[in-house]
Amino acid sequence: MSHPPSQAPAAEVSPFDAPARWPLALLAGSALGWLVLSSLLALVTAIQLHTPSFLADCSALTHGRAQAARETAFLYGWAGNAGVGLGLWILGRLGGNPLRALNWAVVGTVFWNLGLLAGMVGIATGSMTGFAGLQVPRALQPVLVAAFCAMALPGVLAWAGRKREGTYAAQWYAAAALFLLPWFWTATQAVLLWSPLRGVVQTVAASWHTQSLVSLWLMPLALAAAYFIVPKQTGKLLPGYESAPLAFWTLIVAGGWTFGRHLIGGPFPAWIPTMAVVAQCLLLFHFLVVALNFRQLFAGGSLTLQYLRFGLVAFLLTGLLETITSFRGAAVHTQFTLLVPAREQLALQGALSMFLFGGLVYQFPRIFGRDWTLPTFVSGHHSLYMLGVVISVLSLSWAGLAQDALLNHSQTPFAEILAQLKTPLLLHTAGQFALLAGNLLLLFAFLRSAAASCCREEGAVALRPASSAS
Amino acid sequence: MSASQRPDPSQDRSPLSDDALQAGHEQIIGKQPDEKGRYRLLPLNLLFLFSGLIFVGGTYLGRFSGHFHPKVFNEYGQPPKAGAVAAVAVDPLVLGKNVYVQVCAACHQPTGLGLPPAFPPLAGSEWVSGSEERLIRIVLHGLQGPIKVMGVEYIGAMPAAGPGSGYNLSPEKVAAVLTYIRKEWGGVEAPVAAGKVAEVRGKEGNRQPWTAAELEKIP
Amino acid sequence: MKNRPLFLLGLFLAVLTSWAGFVLGSHGQLGSLTPFFDEADGQSHPARLPGLAARGQLVYADLGCVACHTQQVRRPGFGNDQARGWGERQSVARDYIFHAQPQLGASRLGPDLMNLAGRNPQAASADDLHRLLYTGSAAHPAFPFLYETREIAGESSRHAVRLTGTTAPKAGSEVVATERAQTLVAYLLNVNTGFEFPEARPLPAKSAASPEATK
Repeated sequence: MSHPPSQAPAAEVSPFDAPARWPLALLAGSALGWLVLSSLLALVTAIQLHTPSFLADCSALTHGRAQAARETAFLYGWAGNAGVGLGLWILGRLGGNPLRALNWAVVGTVFWNLGLLAGMVGIATGSMTGFAGLQVPRALQPVLVAAFCAMALPGVLAWAGRKREGTYAAQWYAAAALFLLPWFWTATQAVLLWSPLRGVVQTVAASWHTQSLVSLWLMPLALAAAYFIVPKQTGKLLPGYESAPLAFWTLIVAGGWTFGRHLIGGPFPAWIPTMAVVAQCLLLFHFLVVALNFRQLFAGGSLTLQYLRFGLVAFLLTGLLETITSFRGAAVHTQFTLLVPAREQLALQGALSMFLFGGLVYQFPRIFGRDWTLPTFVSGHHSLYMLGVVISVLSLSWAGLAQDALLNHSQTPFAEILAQLKTPLLLHTAGQFALLAGNLLLLFAFLRSAAASCCREEGAVALRPASSAS
Repeated sequence: MSASQRPDPSQDRSPLSDDALQAGHEQIIGKQPDEKGRYRLLPLNLLFLFSGLIFVGGTYLGRFSGHFHPKVFNEYGQPPKAGAVAAVAVDPLVLGKNVYVQVCAACHQPTGLGLPPAFPPLAGSEWVSGSEERLIRIVLHGLQGPIKVMGVEYIGAMPAAGPGSGYNLSPEKVAAVLTYIRKEWGGVEAPVAAGKVAEVRGKEGNRQPWTAAELEKIP
Repeated sequence: MKNRPLFLLGLFLAVLTSWAGFVLGSHGQLGSLTPFFDEADGQSHPARLPGLAARGQLVYADLGCVACHTQQVRRPGFGNDQARGWGERQSVARDYIFHAQPQLGASRLGPDLMNLAGRNPQAASADDLHRLLYTGSAAHPAFPFLYETREIAGESSRHAVRLTGTTAPKAGSEVVATERAQTLVAYLLNVNTGFEFPEARPLPAKSAASPEATK
């Protein structure tokens, strides 16, 4: 059913949300399911770090495969589904028209999730590709690309068919993310899986892909959610917004260049890590502008804003740490140690996930027209997640610093290094446990709320459309 | 808002509608629906910062890029000069030993002791520790007929091993093997130069294998 | 960003430039590296992995060993890879031209695996590796699914793993390495950076920080 779009009421329940409810709920629900799966795998791999014999008999969960599965479930399953769901919703809302081609999105989502499930089985049985961030068995990858194109179609149509001439930052980020992924993913598949390049160029391409996945696909979707929610929740326009276009283009141009900081000191020509340092310096501008735009977040506010605030702080911290550690003087100490996963956790769990959580928590009541039925669970998730991320990142950093001293400045044998890292690694496991618990709470809250909405549609207590914009 | 309180749904009520959101922000970047796109200037300090970051990046790139050369793996390195022969320095003793084992040891034995009565020893031989000129000629063109080594006469036929022969050893390899045997069994540290071998070859050209008498005429 | 096609074109070009510059650019520079022919021993380096070892690389990739191990030796000033005896020189691009899928790695929870067979003072042997893979250790997971425990029929298998103590199987049985384990160990023992290429030579120590550093 469609409402006449002539007068979009100044309300938090837009008339375009209800028709899109179930496709978006499918995306959000699958995202949370994958999140729980990836947290479970993260717990398994965290335990294996300090107790290598954990589940060693099970060939499907040997450490390398478990890591590949965890990463796939997190990036493509959780962040992919959640990001696309938010992106479609935001593009629809800001486009001023009801979302079209939603059947495509549903079919796409189903195939995306089925493809990923098959991919997980493939990884567990030994067909993973061996490239980090691209582990899904190679025969399934074109299926996933096609499914993604179907998922993204409503978003691109909503952006192209929008009513206003100009666009807002959330639209740039969301449209860019939805548009770019199929292109660079196909290019990567071509040079790595179908017609592999020779020697270390494969590592260059794989590293480029993983970086682009985060900088050009996932982070923009998360930023789109933030750009949409912050002004709507605070009721004020974003300060410093005039720099946002330049910051956006800086991210798009230089975002994929920073992969080289992982390749420093390796068998790669020196210009690759050097370009990464240059790009990282340029990206500081993007981080600064995002900080300026979202500075109202530091004052806190509703639960959604609290999620976004944590995400923002983690995002800025990630930018700073990535810049510092891309220089050779610091990279000597951090490369190959646990400081790298620590920074990754901060970026992916601290920044990316928190932005996406803020988005989902904000989106749910609006597309369902009713509030969360278990709001304490959602707050509980927030607290547990913050706790988990802080503990995980700090403990991994502690382990990484200790490891650097032992690995790079002494001849300590590896068995002893791991024995000395046991305490921080146990803490890290505790952090992962907190994350898993929080994610279970959120999944349960979502399912409960969605079921409540589904089963009691007529008697649902809907959020009243606001009659004024105050 | 504390985590234990139920979030108040009305707090989520947005004071900004989607339209107001977009209209307000478009005004900030100076775009009106009916105007051609015109960007307002960025605040000056941010513009300076951006330019500064580009400048820093460019300087870093200029210093540490190794001129984008594929063989510069250390960012402090410089690309190899065009025309510089970046050949691996071959250790003549290693090369010489390999050549000796492949070519000479069959007759002169790996120990250098030879096999009387056909193959004279190299260990302790006055021919090996003696004149370079004679030794080079023996290897380049071979030796026929009787030869006295350490007071013992040997009759043998040593084939030529230099360029153009069956073994076709390059002047570098001839020099290397001679360096090796002189160091190993002749007690002579000074290496034989490949240039010297080439010079001798140039002087003598192609010729029949030497006899001992002919060689003794050469200083 | 009013113009719809222009916006999409801008995005596309930005990413195309990035991909072309880095991926195609590196391929242009490194994709046609040739092996280096050494006059001294008449061989070209690097050597291709022998067939068993090349299949072992697939096992290495599908087990995900790359999650904890690297296969790159860094230059002298960068960490203490060479002090640990992992290699005599840094790895360069030419070392990997005959690897079907270089497993360079990004994490050193375990030691670097380049040059395992050539380590001083302790070169790894096939026996040691099989033992480690079967039993694991305090710092290394076990991979018992790569091995088969079976009755000794007649004489003991050529690929039996020598085990003692509590890890040994019961009398009359032996632990035999499956083909996956054999190929994996062959791979680990054949991965090396044996030859000193010109581009792998370190910069002169004194001028490492000076602008006039020469190769």
